[in-house]
Order: sequence, then structure tokens, then C-alpha cells
Amino acid sequence: MNSYLSSVNAGYFYGIVAVVLTFIMAMCLVFCVKSYRAGVAIGMEEKALKKVITSSMTFTLLPSISILLGVIALSGTLGVPLSWLRLSVIGALQYELNVADIAAQGVGLSGLNLAELNIGAFVTIALVMTIGILGGVVCCIFFLKKYMNKLQGKGKKEKQVEEAKQVKQVKQVKQAEQDDFIEDFIDDISDDFSADEKDRSFGTYATTAMFVGLCAAYIGSYVGKAMPSGGADLMPLFVAGVAALCMAVFEFLIQKKNYLVLENFSLAASMLVAMTAAVLVNMVM
Amino acid sequence: MSNYTNNSVSEKEKKEFFEEFNNGLHRIGRFTLIAAMIMLISIPFIVGAVNGVMPSMSGFLRGFATVGLIYIPVAIVEFLVYTPMLGVGGSYLSFITGNVTNMKIPCVMNAKDIAKTEPGTPEHEIVSTISVAVSAITTTLVIIAGVIMLVPLQPVLQAEALLPAFNNVVPALFGALGLKYFLQSPKIAVVPLALMSLLCIFVPAAISQTSLLLIPSGGLALAIGYVLFKKGKL
Repeated sequence: MNSYLSSVNAGYFYGIVAVVLTFIMAMCLVFCVKSYRAGVAIGMEEKALKKVITSSMTFTLLPSISILLGVIALSGTLGVPLSWLRLSVIGALQYELNVADIAAQGVGLSGLNLAELNIGAFVTIALVMTIGILGGVVCCIFFLKKYMNKLQGKGKKEKQVEEAKQVKQVKQVKQAEQDDFIEDFIDDISDDFSADEKDRSFGTYATTAMFVGLCAAYIGSYVGKAMPSGGADLMPLFVAGVAALCMAVFEFLIQKKNYLVLENFSLAASMLVAMTAAVLVNMVM
Repeated sequence: MSNYTNNSVSEKEKKEFFEEFNNGLHRIGRFTLIAAMIMLISIPFIVGAVNGVMPSMSGFLRGFATVGLIYIPVAIVEFLVYTPMLGVGGSYLSFITGNVTNMKIPCVMNAKDIAKTEPGTPEHEIVSTISVAVSAITTTLVIIAGVIMLVPLQPVLQAEALLPAFNNVVPALFGALGLKYFLQSPKIAVVPLALMSLLCIFVPAAISQTSLLLIPSGGLALAIGYVLFKKGKL
């Protein structure tokens, strides 16, 4: 076995991942038990809570298998333990692969290429993948309490400011208006980005636009690589084309034929079909 | 209010109890998230120490500069958009266990429909937290089972013949993902896709700098999206 692959699939690494996942599972269990008890305490029926548990379990089974396919796709270059960890904690397949590729370029490789990878590059890639995805976690640690309080008590503060203005108590107005910079900042951007019941906000489109840009850059580079000036390497464009074709079939079945269950598998299955096509073409050529 | 709630607890008692409960979740949530973050960040250093190498700080900074530019705004938007749906407990769990858009949000929506709760109510917060916790535990167990089956297959997965598959995993991802996003927003996609293709054809040096191309391409797509959104054409 390749020495790089032996290092990234070492037994101790599985052990470390198991410890982290045990901790996070314990966290989930604690939250679940506390919420269940709280539900009973405020008068919710246990029957309803049990139904939520069983339905959440069955609802998750199929998508979980698609995540497992993602672990297989990722494990060929990054090894099983890191792929297992990354797709069990915080990440998602599209993020992990994209960030791993960017990080590989950051350490001077041409991309996520097995022939170029080494353990030094691997630990740097793993660090970028880990820290790059912590944005949501950091937001939760520092802003979740303020944000949730803001959402629940938004009307209350506006009313206080209005009352203070009415009695012309300038000090009170200033105090209320200068309340907390972070709260106001969160308030302003949440108005622009949070999803409204009736209309989609720009936040929804912004994320889509960001990913459109991301995909455009990569597809553009595959088009460039396929040209004689770019090395006439047709394989990336071919693989991307097969994956897109496969995804188009899935989209047709999901959107037009209403096979909604396929939605969970479309990405991972399209990738695996395209990767298989790469192997077959390589054998033929 | 949920159809499954009885009225033996007064609204005031419920509110007081729920505030205390939420404060407890914030305390545990913050503590566990910080602990999980420390564990996750330490892993590359532990693996490096075992192998006698350390992460390259210059490589890290180069990679993180691009990743941060793209994913920090995405993380902030996701935080602002999803936390009202997920509630306090659901948010702490979702953001540490991941797969928020593709799994946790649909799972919470499903649980909400089953328990007939309204976002913002104590019942919804409870249902959402239970649903995210159960979903995360189920996923972890399924993946553990899969990994146990995957380990004996390692020699097969590392066979020379499969090398082209794993070396082309990124094009496979962006081909599939690209089609999905381009179909969702063709008006946003046309210009960045055409410009990036032309740039890579006429300036071949740009091909190996995909991580840098992401910035103008993403920025352009965002700008086009914003203009179309403001004009009501999305």
C-alpha cells in the first residue's frame, strides 16, 4: 500500500475519530433527553414526542446512506478516518471536496491528486477543512443567544424606544438606541437575509449565487484544460459532463416524475457514476 | 400551538420553565461546541505529531484566505436563515453535526408537520431539538456501520485501476453540483460560466489557479444575483 495512504488510514486515527464522535453523540443524547423531559413538563404528549423520534430516525436513514457514499468518494484521496469524521461532523460532501481541493492548491499541489499528496500536505488540508467550516459553530457560540432573544423579543425593544421618544426623555432614547452594537448589527443583517414566510429573501439567492460562481470557476477550468493550450486533458471535462448528465436524469425523475426519494442520492450517485466512467475510459484508452 | 399539547400547564408557567430550559441549553451548547471545536482543531496536529510533520502555516493561510472568503459569508447567512427554524437546541446540534441544508432542515420540517408545531413556540423548539438529535445519532450510526464494512475493502479501493476515479472526484462533484445550481439560476450562471471558460482558454495559466478564480467568479455571480433580485427578475 502507498505510504501516504497507510498513514492516513492508520489505526490510531480511527480511534481519535471514534472519541470525537462519541463526544458529539453524547451531546446529542443529552439534548434529546433534556428536550424530551421539557416537553413532558410543559404538557406535550409523550406519544407525539415518540412519534417525532421514530419519524426522524426513519426520515434520516436514506440520506445517511448517501452520506456514506460520500465517505467512499472522499476516502480514496483523504483516507477513511478523515472522510468519516468530516462527513459525520459539521461538513457536507460538496464543502469537504471543494475545500480539500483549494487547500491542496494552497500547499502547492495541482489539486486533490493522489500522486502528489503527502502527509505534510494532508495535515494542512485537514486543518483548512476544519477551521474553514467553523463559521456556523462560532456564530452559535457567540451570537445564538442574542439572535434568538432578538427574534423572540423584537417588538418589545421597538416599543421601548417609541415610548422613550414620546416622553422626550433624551437620555432614555439614547440608551435604548445605543443598546448593543452586535444586537443592532444582527438585527440589520437578519432583516436582509432571514427567510420570510411569503417571499424568498436575498439570503437564499446569495448562497445559490455563491455556489453558481464556484461551479462556474471549476467548469471553466475544465474547459480550459481540454483545449490544446491547456494540455488537452479531456478527462476532467468528460467526468464533469457525465456527472452533469447523470444529475440531469435525476433532476428529471425528481422534478417531472416526482421520485422525491432520489433527491437524497442524486449528488453522490452522479459522482460515483462519473468516477466509474473515468475508470472505464482510462481502461479503454 | 401543537395539537398534542394538553392545557394542564398555564402559559405563564410554561414560559418561565421554557426560558430556564433554553438558558440551560445555551450553557451546555456553548460548552460542548467549544470543547468539540478544540478536539476537531487538534486532530491535524495530533496526526502531524505522530508522523513527525506539522501543518504548514503559509499553506494554511493561502488555503484559508480563499475558503474563508467563500464559506464565512455562507456560514453567516445559514446561521441567520436556519436558526429560527431550528430553535436553540436544534441550532447547536445542527451546526456541529453538519449536513444542515440537506438533512437537518428537512428533518425538522418533517417533525414540525408530524407534531403540528409553529416555529417560535416552546413546542416547536422541543420537537426540533429532538428531531435534530435523533437524526444526527442515526446518521453517525449508519456511517459507523458503513465504515466498518469499508475497512476490509481498503485494498480494493486503493487498487491502481481505480486511481482515475479518485483523481477525478472534484470534477465529478462540480459537474453534478454545477448542473443543479445552473438549472436553479440560469440567469445568474450564464455570464460567470462563459467568462471563466474564456479566461481559462485564453489565459492557460489561470487553469491551475482555480482557488483564486473562485473569488471573482463568486463575486460576479453574487453581483448579478443581487441586481436581478433588486429588479425582481429572479
